[in-house]
Amino acid sequence: MTGDRARPAVETRGISKAFGGVAALDTVDFEVRWSEVHALVGENGAGKTTLCNILAGIYRADAGRVVVDGAERDFRSPAHAIDAGIGMVHQHFRLVEPMTVAENIHLGWPETPGVVSQRTLNERTERFMGEMGLRVDPTAKIWQLSVGEQQRVEILRVLARGARVLILDEPTAVLTAKEAEELFAVVRELAAGGLSVIFITHKLREVLAVSDRLTVLRHGIREITRPTEGATASEIARLMTGEERVLDVEHRVVTGDPALELRGVSTLNDRGIAALRDVDLTVRSGEILGIAGVSGNGQTELAEVICALRGMEAGSITVDGADIASMSVRAVTDSGVGHIPEDRIGMGMVTSAPVKDNAVLHSYWTEQFSQGLTLNRQSVIDFARKLVEAARVQTRSVFATAGQLSGGNQQRLVARREALAADRLLVAAHPTRGLDVNAAQEVRSTILDRRDSGCAVLLISDDLDEVLLMSDRIAVIYEGRIMGVFEAAEADREHIGLLMGGHSITGAVA
Amino acid sequence: MTPLASMAGAVLSATPWRLERRLEVDAKRAALTRIGGAVGAMVVVGILLLLTGRNAFLIFWQALDAIFGRQRGVEGVALRAIPILMTALGVALSLRMKVWNIGSDGQFLMGALAAVGVGIHMDGPGWLVLILMAAAATLAGAAWILVPALARAYWDVNEIITTLLLNFVALQLVTWSALGFWRDKEAAVIQSTREVPFTLPGIPGADSVTIALLVPLAIAAVLWWVFRSTTIGYEIDIIGGNPRAAGFAGIAVRRRILVVMLFTGAIAGLGGMLQLSAPGAQAMNAGFSAQFGLSGFIVAALAGAAFWGVIGGGLFIASMFYAGIVLQTKGLSVYIIFAVYGVILTGIALGEIAARYRVARRDAADESGAAADEAVAARKGAGP
Amino acid sequence: MILAIIENAFLSLIGSAIPASAVVMLAATGAMLGERVGVLNLGQEGLIGIGAVYSVIAVLSWGVESPWLAMLIGMMAAAAAGLIFALCVVAFRASQVLVGLALALGGIGLSNQLGVNRNGTPIQTLFREVNPGGVLDDNDAVSAFFFHDPVVYIAYVGLPVVLWFVLFRTRHGMNMKAVGENPAAADAVGVSVTGWRIFYSVLGAALTGAGGAYMVLSFTPTWSPDIARGRGWVALAVVIFAGWRPGWAVAGALLYGSMISLDTTAQARGWGLPFMGASDLSFFLSMLPYVVTLVAILIPAGAVKLGRRVRSTAAPAALAIPYAREER
Repeated sequence: MTGDRARPAVETRGISKAFGGVAALDTVDFEVRWSEVHALVGENGAGKTTLCNILAGIYRADAGRVVVDGAERDFRSPAHAIDAGIGMVHQHFRLVEPMTVAENIHLGWPETPGVVSQRTLNERTERFMGEMGLRVDPTAKIWQLSVGEQQRVEILRVLARGARVLILDEPTAVLTAKEAEELFAVVRELAAGGLSVIFITHKLREVLAVSDRLTVLRHGIREITRPTEGATASEIARLMTGEERVLDVEHRVVTGDPALELRGVSTLNDRGIAALRDVDLTVRSGEILGIAGVSGNGQTELAEVICALRGMEAGSITVDGADIASMSVRAVTDSGVGHIPEDRIGMGMVTSAPVKDNAVLHSYWTEQFSQGLTLNRQSVIDFARKLVEAARVQTRSVFATAGQLSGGNQQRLVARREALAADRLLVAAHPTRGLDVNAAQEVRSTILDRRDSGCAVLLISDDLDEVLLMSDRIAVIYEGRIMGVFEAAEADREHIGLLMGGHSITGAVA
Repeated sequence: MTPLASMAGAVLSATPWRLERRLEVDAKRAALTRIGGAVGAMVVVGILLLLTGRNAFLIFWQALDAIFGRQRGVEGVALRAIPILMTALGVALSLRMKVWNIGSDGQFLMGALAAVGVGIHMDGPGWLVLILMAAAATLAGAAWILVPALARAYWDVNEIITTLLLNFVALQLVTWSALGFWRDKEAAVIQSTREVPFTLPGIPGADSVTIALLVPLAIAAVLWWVFRSTTIGYEIDIIGGNPRAAGFAGIAVRRRILVVMLFTGAIAGLGGMLQLSAPGAQAMNAGFSAQFGLSGFIVAALAGAAFWGVIGGGLFIASMFYAGIVLQTKGLSVYIIFAVYGVILTGIALGEIAARYRVARRDAADESGAAADEAVAARKGAGP
Repeated sequence: MILAIIENAFLSLIGSAIPASAVVMLAATGAMLGERVGVLNLGQEGLIGIGAVYSVIAVLSWGVESPWLAMLIGMMAAAAAGLIFALCVVAFRASQVLVGLALALGGIGLSNQLGVNRNGTPIQTLFREVNPGGVLDDNDAVSAFFFHDPVVYIAYVGLPVVLWFVLFRTRHGMNMKAVGENPAAADAVGVSVTGWRIFYSVLGAALTGAGGAYMVLSFTPTWSPDIARGRGWVALAVVIFAGWRPGWAVAGALLYGSMISLDTTAQARGWGLPFMGASDLSFFLSMLPYVVTLVAILIPAGAVKLGRRVRSTAAPAALAIPYAREER
């Protein structure tokens, strides 16, 4: 593995992979040199992760070759890839939550002593972290760590096994700006020490900040590989997206009665730790209030508390002047509140039930569909057909189960259903996450339509670009606190970015 | 130990075959593969019988003849079908909500015990006493699942073991009643409670089958309607499919779980009362329930919680049950029925898998399987 | 003086509880092994039957003269049944609940069928009590506490200590727990989830089978139908009560065993209460083991609900969930 430094660390030749007859990768040539940070760039669904999963032994390619340090390899499992010196840190961490950092690093590692005490594990981990220059408390349980720390454990674990090629899949998606900066420093240092790092991302700023070379994938085809030096963000963006239909959003300043009002709201998360601290927010009819922030700073709980899915510790929430504290979930929904939940599949739909049943999940009890106890099957079916058509959901019939829909179709179904249910207020949590460009545009148009017809919208997103594009006003959330609220016109990207990371609150207009 | 374990894994992954998730699972295929699994299990049993030197074909023929060759056989099946269908309907109802009520035997026994208590202590017009017996049985069946239901609904305690443990308590209680507090002091040979002097009216033309047979049919019809055209059925199916989505839709999930579990107990309890009208079953003794609850469980699993399927499956299992009793005279013990149940249940479980997966060659690029994986990956990507 | 009487009564209660629930102890350890790697085997009841009946067959029909060998045969039979179970639920990903119940039913039916001609035949090939240097005699409570055959010592001391050591002091145990908590994480670092799950399901089944063998080779000691009488289900409950910790299983098993021995003692001595005759009391006491076990399951859940969150007693997160490496 420490062979000729001149030949590539890893290369693929003509790799193809298809899912369900759709090519995810089409004869892709890809090459990573020693000691370089190589950014792998592309939209959602461009094939970045698929390519790296093949390198990491998780998928097997339909065609093509993988060459590691001059030798052709055929990985049958992640273990084979690890043996060849390739380690991957997945977007969704593979850590055992109730175990300690030290245990997780030593898991499944042949070099771990057979009989071992916590103390030995901790000492070994300490020593190892010293060598690598990365630090986490070895005795902490994984569930006690921040996301950034968990990521560090993953990286340590891969490095511990002697990985010479490190693959990071969208590593900054869950990090604060400060944590991301720290990660960049670590990545640069590892590369300087002789490792190769493949850095998957779709954020152009990161590409320019961290990489030596970059490769752009689009629809499973390699568009270009070039040195990062001299590349511009707009050039990369064009290669990534091709021709993009740009949404033209007109921002408004709305005065008038608040549709939603939060006063001093505090609540706990599932672990019983404060998730929202003394939050004041107002959303008026006909405006979009965007919540900017890094995931995990209380956004999930904010959406749930407004929709009465989570109890409050303190404060009050009113929708159209009515206090929801004493209302059931159903009563809140009946008062005209729609909710596109963050976890659309896990919370917003029943994959084992037919599409028609999912179509009325948030309205089946209304007069439109039921009289007393009886559910009017025909009106449910009619409604579902209309919804499917309006949301352009591709399905054989409304009797097919929702689980048979593709991810994008499932998302469109939920988004449109909730938008329809929302007369007064739409709470949209990360509504375009995981969607390709066109599907995302459709969902955004749906949300804008609701705003234009006088509905208040609370838009939660960890994609700052989306918040800036869509919102009439922007509130920044950090560790459960609102750090500041801005009119769209006066919003300054850099300033908001700092607030999202918990920095200075000077100049904030609350 | 490690090398052994990894060897087992290596052997499996070295086979050229693997399971791949099907993109679409339709209900018809699922039903067919379940039935296929059950039939396959019967074939396995037949082969085992042949291997142990018994003539499986002859046994099979004798069983068919015993059932359909005479009216007694048909009625014998119908008589066994009543308790099996009642427990099966209760289990099927709980399965719609992904709750496993394995305690239907206990609920059945307690229903019967309560009905006997009313029947031997009350005087009055027969119809009135029978109605009160039914009411007592229903309440007792529901009461017997109350603690597991509360624990499941509000404390998230898995119901499988709690419901099952209560079967043993019920059995002891029945034994106590037969040998202790309600013992019939005049009967010397079989120790049991006094006999209930009231039975349900017979079906015209039948020797022993009473109108009790109509009760499970009526309940199945009602449940079918509830799940087809009411919001209650809709809500139960949503809870079964995804409890978080049910909470999102504003359904009071915990209360629904409690109420539905009580209903499953009530149905099984009512079954116990109906059984008191079967020939020779007017009193409680330790052998009152021939594990009808377990048979009912298998029926529900076979039917995949579809209520019309419960009727068909119930008749099938009841036939087997009856055949087993008849064949005891041919050198088979009643125990073998349970061994056969085990094989059938395994067949059903494997049949369920056959509906969801397909076997494919490991190296072949299979499209539908991979597409499903992609869908799963996309779903995960959409999560937090 | 009074203290001594109470102490004596306590010792003799526990003393007779120990052999009464040795089966439960063995089965609970077996079930715990499988559950620690994420496999819930509801078939313990059937496995006890299979282990018992094959030990009986070994002694009565094959002329095996060593109780150890007879037990080994019972264990192997149960292991074979466990292998079928494991292949169904791990390799074919069938529902653990359904196949587990199938194993319970099938195991009971099969063992009853095989034992049908051997009902009540006394077993002569028995384990002998351990009595170092002949210092203990049969009469006092202290002796009753210590006077047992070697299997009891293995079940209550040997296995829990070994299992505790493996789980909490070895690399192997760490990997085991990872397979039960997060199989995807274990898979990602090269631990074969399938292999480990099958291996420990089979080993666990063998231990449960040993429990059945112990019943007929020492406790009863004869074959009778439905030999497990719910002990398999109690064992599963004990695992929950113990919070998947080997040491606590001892406490759970003894709790059940004390209820059993309370019942047998009451029957033997004809105890009665002012408002309840001896036979009624005996009927009442015979329900207690199951009722107490049921209450014991509710304790950990209740402790969590009432605000005393004990994270370490939670079930392995991946328990009863089939694992498939979806990406492939």
